[in-house]
Amino acid sequence: MSSTTAPSGLARARRGLAPGGSGGGSPQPGQNRKSKLSAQTSRTFFWLLLPSVVLLVLIHGYPLFQAGVQATHNGNLIQTGDFVGIENFQSVLASPAFWKAAQFTLLFTIVGVFGSWAVGLGLALLLRTKIPAGGTFKVLLLLPWVVPIVVSSTAWNWLVATPDSLVPSLYRNLGLGTPLFLADPTLAAVTVMIFKVWVSFPFMMMMISAALASVDSTVYEAASMDGATRFQQFSQITLPLIARSTYISWILMTIFCVNDFPTIYLLTGGGPVDATTSLVVLAYRTVFQDFTTGPGVAIAFLMTMTLVVISVLLYRQIRKSSVE
Amino acid sequence: MSAVVHAHPQSGPVLGVAGPAKNKRVLSEAGHRGQWWRFTAILLITAIVLVPIMVTVVLAFTPGPNSTATGLTFENLSNVFSTTLAATWLQNSLVTTLSTVVVSVAVAAPAGYVLSRGRSKAVSGYSLLLFVMQSLPVITSVVPLFILFAAMGLVDNLMGLTIIYVGSTMTVATWMMAAYFDSIPISLEEASWIDGCSVFGSFTKVVLRNSLPGILSTAIFAFLLAWNDYLVAIVFLRSNEIFTLPMGVQSFFQQNNTDWSGVMALAVIMMLPPVIVFATLNKYFSVGGIGGSLAGR
Repeated sequence: MSSTTAPSGLARARRGLAPGGSGGGSPQPGQNRKSKLSAQTSRTFFWLLLPSVVLLVLIHGYPLFQAGVQATHNGNLIQTGDFVGIENFQSVLASPAFWKAAQFTLLFTIVGVFGSWAVGLGLALLLRTKIPAGGTFKVLLLLPWVVPIVVSSTAWNWLVATPDSLVPSLYRNLGLGTPLFLADPTLAAVTVMIFKVWVSFPFMMMMISAALASVDSTVYEAASMDGATRFQQFSQITLPLIARSTYISWILMTIFCVNDFPTIYLLTGGGPVDATTSLVVLAYRTVFQDFTTGPGVAIAFLMTMTLVVISVLLYRQIRKSSVE
Repeated sequence: MSAVVHAHPQSGPVLGVAGPAKNKRVLSEAGHRGQWWRFTAILLITAIVLVPIMVTVVLAFTPGPNSTATGLTFENLSNVFSTTLAATWLQNSLVTTLSTVVVSVAVAAPAGYVLSRGRSKAVSGYSLLLFVMQSLPVITSVVPLFILFAAMGLVDNLMGLTIIYVGSTMTVATWMMAAYFDSIPISLEEASWIDGCSVFGSFTKVVLRNSLPGILSTAIFAFLLAWNDYLVAIVFLRSNEIFTLPMGVQSFFQQNNTDWSGVMALAVIMMLPPVIVFATLNKYFSVGGIGGSLAGR
């Protein structure tokens, strides 16, 4: 690598190093021809990539392989146990607890994705127009996302957990009874979802703001001159213009919601009576509280497969949009 | 490509913060009146949204139930540091997080360079692999890693924790770096080759030297993920003196009577670093970058 590049090698290296290449190696116009890297370049590339590959194998590849082993064995955290084939998957798919958790995960994800999108969109639109201290509000509204989840769940606990907490007390004083936000199954589920929307809307707000910022305002001026109403402008101009980033943010948020552990676990621990147990929480409890790795990892595997499909969809969408 | 991970304004509006807003609206008369209800609405919404955070700060600095102090006080803070292992937890969090940041950048920058400049089936395949891996649930790999790390003595060990954090940041971090390198023109490197520089030399002397914003945003991303993580910590940490801050804060809830003054004081300590980082390095943040940090949650 320290050797001086000879002119001929340079020419080859230059072909190898495509200008403005994108990380995915996606084809760029005029860059379709496969070029061979010079020996020096590929050697350098090999060494530059090596630490990353080693880590990927150690932290992602090996565990994924081992997870496959455990999912097909009836072991625990100490012993792998005997090979049982797809028995764990069968028992998981046959258990009501799994379907209840899957159902909650689905609902949690739908509310999380569209709830945070709706709130984020509303705020992004409000902040789009010039208002005093708009920048300050933008930063303040990002705080729910920046503050660690352990901290915010602590605060939410203080606000709603017991009948004497602030929010239940307010309800009582308004004569609305004393709702038990985390003790009633339905209310606990609602509370967890509101918490999730509270945590996630800043992400959506940022995504939409970024998309809106690239929209030329003359489009709106032209539209309002043509007599388009506010609603028409919103549905005919704004929504289509932010469609691509909306699509990507929906898929990303789906991945975040399905994988989410602390938001639920820290607030309710999955309770009461498993009302807020999502698939991740169920997998965690199966392994680390019931000490059976097989079914726990089988649940994680089923989630993994779903998420791989989602992320491949996302990857293709991103590559498609980068070619446009 | 590179949507999840836009580290740089120039890398496009897909997920990244798009360039400077060019659309300063000319406010009409009606618009001017509209401004005030918008301001009021946003003020109210922000106030409601920030209630949990304000509550944390207020409780942290007001005297607890057994206190004789009045008004604002630092008593809770000094109590939590003298009666719990808060100082150790803070130190553990700092050590783990900073190691994660350094190693993540050191691994992701070279790999991101190859992803950005290389054009071969292998490179694009690796890029897809990284992308798929970042969406995997942490819970899947945590169980096998727990067994492996237990055998290696890395459970209840800050180094074990760091290795996993680096593993979970490296996927998105590599994409972030690649997206940033995409924005650095190849002509800069070509000039250095003519001067006799090797590919590795042009990477370190030309590309890295011009990548501070990209490196910073990657570092911020790794920082947030490691600082905020709870799932890996709860699985891998066993003893009090190895706890990181999230575990420390949570340990208050194991008692029957939660010491709210203490837990809120510690919570404020825990939220300060990300808020400070965010406030000072705001411009290096990008939507996608922080977005990725959530993927690990």
